[in-house]
Amino acid sequence: MKRLLLKVFKTVRAILRELADENAYRRHLEAHGREHSAAEWRRFCDERMRAKYARAKCC
Amino acid sequence: MKKILRGLVWVALSITGAGCLGVIAFHRGEPINSLWLVLAAACTYIVGYRFYAAFIAARVMMLNNERATPAERLRDGHDYEPTNKWIVFGHHFAAIAGPGPLVGPTLAAQFGYLPGALWIIIGAVLGGAVQDFVILFCSLRRNGKSLGQMAREEIGEIGGFTALLTVLLIMVILLAVVALVVVNALKNSPWGTFTIAATMPIALFMGLYLRYWRPGKVLECSAIGFVLVVASVFGGQAISQSASMAPWFAYSGVAIAIAIIVYGFLASALPVWLLLAPRDYLSTFVKLGVILLLAIGIVFARPQLELPPLTRFIDGTGPIFAGKIFPFCFITIACGAISGFHALISSGTTPKLITREWHVLPVGYGSMLLESFVAIMALVAACAMRPGIYFAVNSPAGVVGAAPAAAVNTITSWGFPVTVEQMASLARGVGEQTLFNRTGGAPSLALGMAHIFTASTGTASSGALSTGANRAGEALLGFWYHFAIMFEALFILTIIDAGTRVGRFMLQDLAGHIWEPLGRTSWMPGVIGGSAAIVGAWGYFLYQGVNDPLGGINSLWPLFGIANQLLAAIALCVATTILVKMHRGRFLWITCLPLVWLVLVTFTGGWQKLFSDSPAIGFLAQANHLEATIAAGQISAARIAETQTLIFNARLDAAVCGLFLLLVATILADSIRVWAAILRGSRQAEVEEAPFVLSRLRPEEI
Repeated sequence: MKRLLLKVFKTVRAILRELADENAYRRHLEAHGREHSAAEWRRFCDERMRAKYARAKCC
Repeated sequence: MKKILRGLVWVALSITGAGCLGVIAFHRGEPINSLWLVLAAACTYIVGYRFYAAFIAARVMMLNNERATPAERLRDGHDYEPTNKWIVFGHHFAAIAGPGPLVGPTLAAQFGYLPGALWIIIGAVLGGAVQDFVILFCSLRRNGKSLGQMAREEIGEIGGFTALLTVLLIMVILLAVVALVVVNALKNSPWGTFTIAATMPIALFMGLYLRYWRPGKVLECSAIGFVLVVASVFGGQAISQSASMAPWFAYSGVAIAIAIIVYGFLASALPVWLLLAPRDYLSTFVKLGVILLLAIGIVFARPQLELPPLTRFIDGTGPIFAGKIFPFCFITIACGAISGFHALISSGTTPKLITREWHVLPVGYGSMLLESFVAIMALVAACAMRPGIYFAVNSPAGVVGAAPAAAVNTITSWGFPVTVEQMASLARGVGEQTLFNRTGGAPSLALGMAHIFTASTGTASSGALSTGANRAGEALLGFWYHFAIMFEALFILTIIDAGTRVGRFMLQDLAGHIWEPLGRTSWMPGVIGGSAAIVGAWGYFLYQGVNDPLGGINSLWPLFGIANQLLAAIALCVATTILVKMHRGRFLWITCLPLVWLVLVTFTGGWQKLFSDSPAIGFLAQANHLEATIAAGQISAARIAETQTLIFNARLDAAVCGLFLLLVATILADSIRVWAAILRGSRQAEVEEAPFVLSRLRPEEI
């Protein structure tokens, strides 16, 4: 039961991180072999937002 | 033994679902408990998922986990990334859940709870979830291509262009109608207006926080934003109770509409990180949290369905929108049962994250079932209100009368008793001056949700909405009502700013073919011109809706519903074309069944909105009726110009409706031409799928 709850908690946390783009940022750092910095976040953000808000949001 | 036991469980689930459906369908007289409806939906979804969806996955799509998905083949760490199926499920559901499944069922409750409930359950299992599922599969096999690209490649250039134009037009109507929902919720409401106005500086603060102070800490920033938003709900209460401050936040519908139009323009032109993105993060988390809270609230409160299964308005004389159950119930429910917009999401980010082909089943089909369940919860929230209160809140002044006494007399004469005192007490309880004539669905949904949340805490009786609660219950009711309004307005405004931006991109894309600089999304004159054109287009329809004596929802929501379902018809045309090319002729009924139904519903609805003799339904009849009243001298000289505008608006709505039908008839005819040619053998069935590549993902990567 404890293991199941822990698994659910981890999945929910991962979903929230995905929705918050934090996972995508981690992947971005890994893919480019870079360290986290304010400038890196801004670069990632600009690129991601450009693509994200070129698509319609659902009704 | 295990197999027999499993079989018995499925038989028990099927019988429970059928039994609950039978109870909600045949029960008459005393109100029934909402759990019957919730159970009927849950059992039907589970059985539909296990058998129908699994059949489509195995026999029609022949999903193959050995086949590498685009996320694996094109992995780039950005868009394409193999992701855990439950994370993709959460991501996809958050993307498809909008205001449609909340507002549509609330409005359709004017027919009673039965037609809406049946359509939400059956429509989702056989139509909406199938559409999302098949389009996600098609996009997955085509490296995550968009619906427009698939339409162009599989059907032809005409299909692709028609799909693009249809989406642009639908965006305009969608933005106008959702903005109208917010306007009707906030007009003359200092509490609501303050709360929503406060979300702007909160979003700006979050934008700066994320950009400069704590870069990358989105969850932390969203938690702070949430606390501030809840504080603004309490602040709004203080404002509404202050005689000096309240007038600063009490505005007419027209003033709020203008404010939203200006906001839409600014949000479309401002940098995304400053306003749009932080608001989007916040609204996504609030949306998911409230949906979860509503589900828990319904289980704890188990409210009675006070609205009857069928009301007298099934004859087409409904006060919220005119028209009979067929086709208007199906058009009004919109996204809760089937939504064309989901096809855009299913062919967007989601296919690029899928790790295994079989994950399409829970993500595509399962997410839509959950969305449909949200629609069921919205229906429960609306139907938990006393019918008299429901109609007093939702009926426009042009139908029931502007004065409270006239409105309650009209509504009581329909057989739904309500008094001025009840409405005044309820308005006081939620901190509003009045709750009459708040057409649009948002206020009545907020009332229903507040009722459920309050009742589930045990501080008020389940009759709180009709008899007035105790002081603690009343205070909670006010808080929850405005929390629900904030939640609805927050994500509707996110749709408005994101939609305006996307509309601008689409328009610039089209305009770029005429003059190249217009197509550059970073060229400032193009940005300002494109934003102004899109905002001007939806702003005009919004302004028209606000000034409509029948409340605007009567004309705009059906137009949006027709448009959204027509987009679903386009998606199903693409899906059917692909099935034909895959030589799955035996299974064409899977997509053709919902397609034929949608064509019947939307074309009947569109035809009636164009040519019905009743001025309450037909746009042209309405224009002719107004012209006749001017000619007969029944309109005062002071109101002639206003009436001329109404006539123009009715003809404009007719033209838009006609154009929708024409566009979809074009793509339908083009698709049938392609199907016939392939089935006759005069055209080669060339599938545009990416070639098979064996998956090399390790088990720990899945």
